[in-house]
Amino acid sequence: MVDSTAGSDTMENLIANFNYVIVVILMMIGLWAMLAQKNLIKKCIGMAIFQTGIILFFISIGAKNEAKVPILSKFVVENSSAIIVNDYANPLTQILMLTAIVVGVATLGVGLALAQKVYQQHSTFHEDEILENQRK
Amino acid sequence: MTEQLPIVIILGPLLAAVLAAFAGWFRPKLSHPFVLLGLAVSFAAALKLVFIVADGGAQKYWLGGWGDKVIPSQKEPFVVGIQITVDHLNTLLLAAVSGIALLTAIYAKRLVDTELAGRQRYFDALFALLVAGLLGISITGDIFNLYVFMEIAALSSYALIAYGKGRSYMASFNYLIMGTMGACLYLLGIGFIFIKGGTLNIDDLSRIIPTLQANGPSQALFVGFVLIILGAWAKMAFFPFHGWLPNAYTYAPTASASVLAPLATKVAVYAMLRIMLTVYSIDYINGLTGIQPIALYLSTAAIVMGSFFSLTQTNLKMIACYFIISEVGYMVGGAWLANKPGLTGAMYHLVADAAMTSALFMAIGCIVYRLGQAQLDDLKGVFFKMPVTMAAFVVTMAALIGVPPTCGFFSKWYLIQGAAQAGVWHFVAALLLSSLVKAIILFRIIEIGYNRVPHPAIEGNPAIPRNEAPLSMLIPTAAMALGLVALGLGTSTLVNTIIAKALPAALAP
Repeated sequence: MVDSTAGSDTMENLIANFNYVIVVILMMIGLWAMLAQKNLIKKCIGMAIFQTGIILFFISIGAKNEAKVPILSKFVVENSSAIIVNDYANPLTQILMLTAIVVGVATLGVGLALAQKVYQQHSTFHEDEILENQRK
Repeated sequence: MTEQLPIVIILGPLLAAVLAAFAGWFRPKLSHPFVLLGLAVSFAAALKLVFIVADGGAQKYWLGGWGDKVIPSQKEPFVVGIQITVDHLNTLLLAAVSGIALLTAIYAKRLVDTELAGRQRYFDALFALLVAGLLGISITGDIFNLYVFMEIAALSSYALIAYGKGRSYMASFNYLIMGTMGACLYLLGIGFIFIKGGTLNIDDLSRIIPTLQANGPSQALFVGFVLIILGAWAKMAFFPFHGWLPNAYTYAPTASASVLAPLATKVAVYAMLRIMLTVYSIDYINGLTGIQPIALYLSTAAIVMGSFFSLTQTNLKMIACYFIISEVGYMVGGAWLANKPGLTGAMYHLVADAAMTSALFMAIGCIVYRLGQAQLDDLKGVFFKMPVTMAAFVVTMAALIGVPPTCGFFSKWYLIQGAAQAGVWHFVAALLLSSLVKAIILFRIIEIGYNRVPHPAIEGNPAIPRNEAPLSMLIPTAAMALGLVALGLGTSTLVNTIIAKALPAALAP
């Protein structure tokens, strides 16, 4: 994890934590597309971007500078003094994100399937036109 | 053997989903019995656990035996596995979810055969998967595992809703966007808690979070809390995130709506309660002096808005959907009152409202089965032609209004006590208003339903005076309606033996 207390200067802090800045930008783009866009496919794209932002966020919090791969041999486990937790990257966040990616893909698949069904009914992806069609 | 019971609760429907999908491939008739069997096993396990928990306290279960491992170098044991927990807070909900799912599976058979002919096996598999997801949310002791189960339940419910005709695709799509946003916010909140706490286990977090805040409140934990609560609110259709619910449940097939409407929102409320009470603590909630009033005002708004819109609707299903929105307001309000009667009311209402909504949608389903739709004007003569269904309907409405001795009266009683104790009078007013609106709607339906000239759709053969739904639908409906009265009569036992012990220790007298 990047040490955020090192730079007291705001700009320096932002550059040191540039991955979090990107996370925030990605999530804002995704959220805006999900809520404000009228096109169903664009909503789906926004959903995927939002999820990507979250995945990047989790990967960022698990990363460490100059950390080892978190695989412990039996020797290390039994020789008590050898484990220093700070030397190893945190594997949990990456495992969590594997699950989240699977969930994201499944959601996107269902979303696109539903959008396709809507298109078959109304011949359009535009939300306003669909609502107008439904009122008839 | 009983130590394995917690996992049996999830395994029943989960295996049933897989088996129903495969068996249905070869022999379509086989899929439904598998679902019934899986749910029956799950319900039996949940019921047994209610007694075990009432006697012996919380039951913890480590999946695969990966419990607290002690590595010689580390003095403290640390958690590597996923825990599932049955304690006083969720045991009643588990029994209610699996029981209602079982009754609904019996009830929905005829509806599925008529509405979704040829696709029953997909419905059965998705139904079982949905119940597995909902039970998983209610039982898990790990906040990330909760997210995974939340998405299992959500994905199967998108598909179940999209089985309807016409507008159901668009309704399901809107639900998908809102539901995914809620789940993503929840996941983001988990990230913040994980940064500070370093664990995802709920028991561990409840131990660690107070120590992290010993030197004053932590910003990251606060942000995580707010994100998780917002995510849960989107999932439970709490005002102002309620927009997806009425269309989704109205245009869904009646069979899907009868399982989704009672269970999905209630389980999301439970997830919120679990985060508020166990992961964080009651002192933390009471310390949030900025948010607590907002949450209470939103609950009032949800109740008032739900009641108002239910008055303007002409479709019985739509009216019931707006009831759900106002009932969610009851529970969120009760939880955020954060005092003893308020929380008791919220926890009791979780179970009571699941039963009431289930009975309501079952009765509406019976009417829809005969009428093909549920416009208020079509209900002419329904009381003469379907007396048993309408008796169940009236009992359910009485419970929703809060007539003693049904369960609705007691939850409302606790909630009003809690609001009065906290001095939140706008919430009391909203609760009373909501009862009044439901009474108005009941009398409107009685006025239409006792019309001597029955609607053509319901008339059937004029020679036969009754035209009830088939017995396989009628019996679960009547059983559920009687259950509401039984639940009401058993209130004091439930509250004293289980719910009182689920309350945080800080509130004990």
